[in-house]
Amino acid sequence: MASRAADWGWRGELPDASGQVAIAGVGESRHTPASGRTSVEIAIDAVGAALDDAGLSPRDVDGLMWSGGLPGQLDEPAFRQHFGARGFDGPLWTSSQGGGMVWAGTAPALAAQALAAGDARVIVNVFSIAWATQRQAGEGSPGDAHSSEHFKANLELPFGWFPQPVYFATIARRHMHEYGTTSAQLGSIAVSCRRHANLHEGAVMRDKPLTLADYLDRPMLVDPLRMEDCCLISDGGAAYVMTSPEHARDLRKPPVHVAGVAEGHSGSGVFWSQQGDFTATPQVFSAPAAFEMAGITPADVDVLTLYDPFTIVALMQIEDMGFCKKGEGGAFVEGTRLHHDGGGLPYNTHGGLLSHAYVLGISHVVEVVRQLRGEACAQVPDAQIGVYGGYTGHMASTLVLRRGTR
Amino acid sequence: MPDLSFEPTRGFWDAAARRELAVPRCSACDRYVWYPQPRCPGCGGSEMAWTVVSGRGTLFSWALVERALYKPFKERAPYVTGLVALEEDPVVRIVTNIVDCDPADLHMDMPVTVVFRELSLAGEEAGVVAPYFRPVSASVPGFEPQPQPQPKPGATTGEEPSR
Ligand SMILES: [Zn+2]
Repeated sequence: MASRAADWGWRGELPDASGQVAIAGVGESRHTPASGRTSVEIAIDAVGAALDDAGLSPRDVDGLMWSGGLPGQLDEPAFRQHFGARGFDGPLWTSSQGGGMVWAGTAPALAAQALAAGDARVIVNVFSIAWATQRQAGEGSPGDAHSSEHFKANLELPFGWFPQPVYFATIARRHMHEYGTTSAQLGSIAVSCRRHANLHEGAVMRDKPLTLADYLDRPMLVDPLRMEDCCLISDGGAAYVMTSPEHARDLRKPPVHVAGVAEGHSGSGVFWSQQGDFTATPQVFSAPAAFEMAGITPADVDVLTLYDPFTIVALMQIEDMGFCKKGEGGAFVEGTRLHHDGGGLPYNTHGGLLSHAYVLGISHVVEVVRQLRGEACAQVPDAQIGVYGGYTGHMASTLVLRRGTR
Repeated sequence: MPDLSFEPTRGFWDAAARRELAVPRCSACDRYVWYPQPRCPGCGGSEMAWTVVSGRGTLFSWALVERALYKPFKERAPYVTGLVALEEDPVVRIVTNIVDCDPADLHMDMPVTVVFRELSLAGEEAGVVAPYFRPVSASVPGFEPQPQPQPKPGATTGEEPSR
C-alpha cells in the first residue's frame, strides 16, 4: 500500500503545557449499569474522590473544567449549588472545553495557561455520564447528537448508515481489505481489555472473562463487528485535579507531570463517510506533536490508554500514533503485546470503554496516573511514561504524562 | 425519512424522484463537492450546480447490519449499508444500501450501479424515491434487475443549491 498524503486534516493550536501542570489527584464514582442517578450526582462523587486523593477539600478548588457539549455535566452552577452548601464560596476560573473524550486529553493545556496566569491554583476536570439510566428511561443515547445533524439525517439515516457501530464496521471492513486485518486481531484487542478489567475492582466487566475463542464464537452485531468490539453503556464519572508542579510537591500523592499535549482534526468533520483517509484517525496530526513536545518517541511509552469506542478505533490509533507502521496494527496487537505483564505495549490496563466503563476517556487518564504512581490494579512494572489518546468524531488528542519527582 | 425541504440536500432527493443521481459540482473548477457545502474545497468557488452522474461506481466498503440499533430499520435487518465511490470521482462516496444481492457475494471495489426504489422505513409513509445500488453483474436467482432509464451523464439539472 502506497503511503498516502496526510492532507485530510490538521494539527490544532494548543498552548505548550510541558512541565507546567501536575495531576495531583484522581477519583472515580462507581461504574454501574443503570443506577437511577443523575450525571451530576455521579460527578460529585468523582470530584470528592479526586480531591480526597490529593488531600484537598472543595474549598481549595478555584478552577473547574467540564464538557460543554454534553448536557448534565457538573458545570459552574451545579458545582456552586452542591459545594456552596458545604462551604465553597470562592471565585472559580472555568472552562467548558474540558471533561471527557478528546478534552480529557487537552484540558491540561488550557489549565496550564490558567495556572501560569494566576487565574487558578487548583483546577478540577470532571466528566460523568448516566446513559445506562437514560437508555432505560428512553431519554437519550450516544447516537442522538448524530441523528439530529441535518446532513446525517438526510444522507445517512435514510439508508440505515447509523449509529456509530455501523460507521466503524464499514471502516473496519475497509481496513481489513487494505491491510489484511482479521477478526481475530480485532478480538485480540477486546480480549486484552477484558483481561485487564478482570483484574480491576471497579470495572463493569470485572467478573466476566473473555477468551479469543469466546470472541470468535460470538455472533456479529454489525458485521464485521461483534458486540464485544463495541463499548459498554454504563453510568459513571471520573475527575482529576491539576495544579502547578511546585504545589503538587506538597500534596498527599506522588505527582504526575504533563509532558506533552496536542490535538488533531479531520477535515471532513463528523462525516466519516467522506474522510480522505478512510482508515486513519486524526492521531496522525496529534501524536507526533505531543511526543515531540515531551521529547519522547513511541518506544519510550510504558503504558498507553486509548479512547476505544470500538476495537478498530484502537487499532487505527495504535498505527497512527506510530507504535507500528500503518497497516501493521493487526499483527502488532496479536497475542500478549497489549498485556500489562510483559506485553511490549501495555494498553488500556483498566479495561477501557470496552470492558472497564463507558466514561468517555476520563477514566483512561485516571488509569495512566495510577500506573505512573504504581497503584494500578493491573500494574505495569516501573511505569515512567504514560500516554492517553483521545478520539471524538472529527478530533483526536494526545496527552503524555510522566512520573514526577517530589 | 429525509427532510425534503432541507435546502442543501434537496437537489439529491429531487433528482432521485426523477430517477436520477445528482451531485453538486463546482461551476468554476468542475470538481464534485460532496457532501454539499457552500464553498468548493478545491477553488473556493461558491457556485454549485446539481449535476447528473452516471450512477456507476464501486463498492468502497459496507456493513452487514445483523441487528439494527436504529429503530426504523429493526424489521429490515439483516441489511447491507455502505459507501459507493462514484465513477466520475471516487472521492465522492454515496451512502446507500446495496440491494438485489446476497451479502455473501459482495466484494470490495466491485462495480455497482444505481437503482431507484421507494424508501421503506418502519412507521413512515412511502412515496420518497431513493438511490440504491446493486452489483452490475447481479445474477442471483430470484433477483431480476429492474430496467433503468438511461441517465444523462454530465447534464445539469438546471437547479442550483441555494446555500
Ligand atoms: Zn471549485
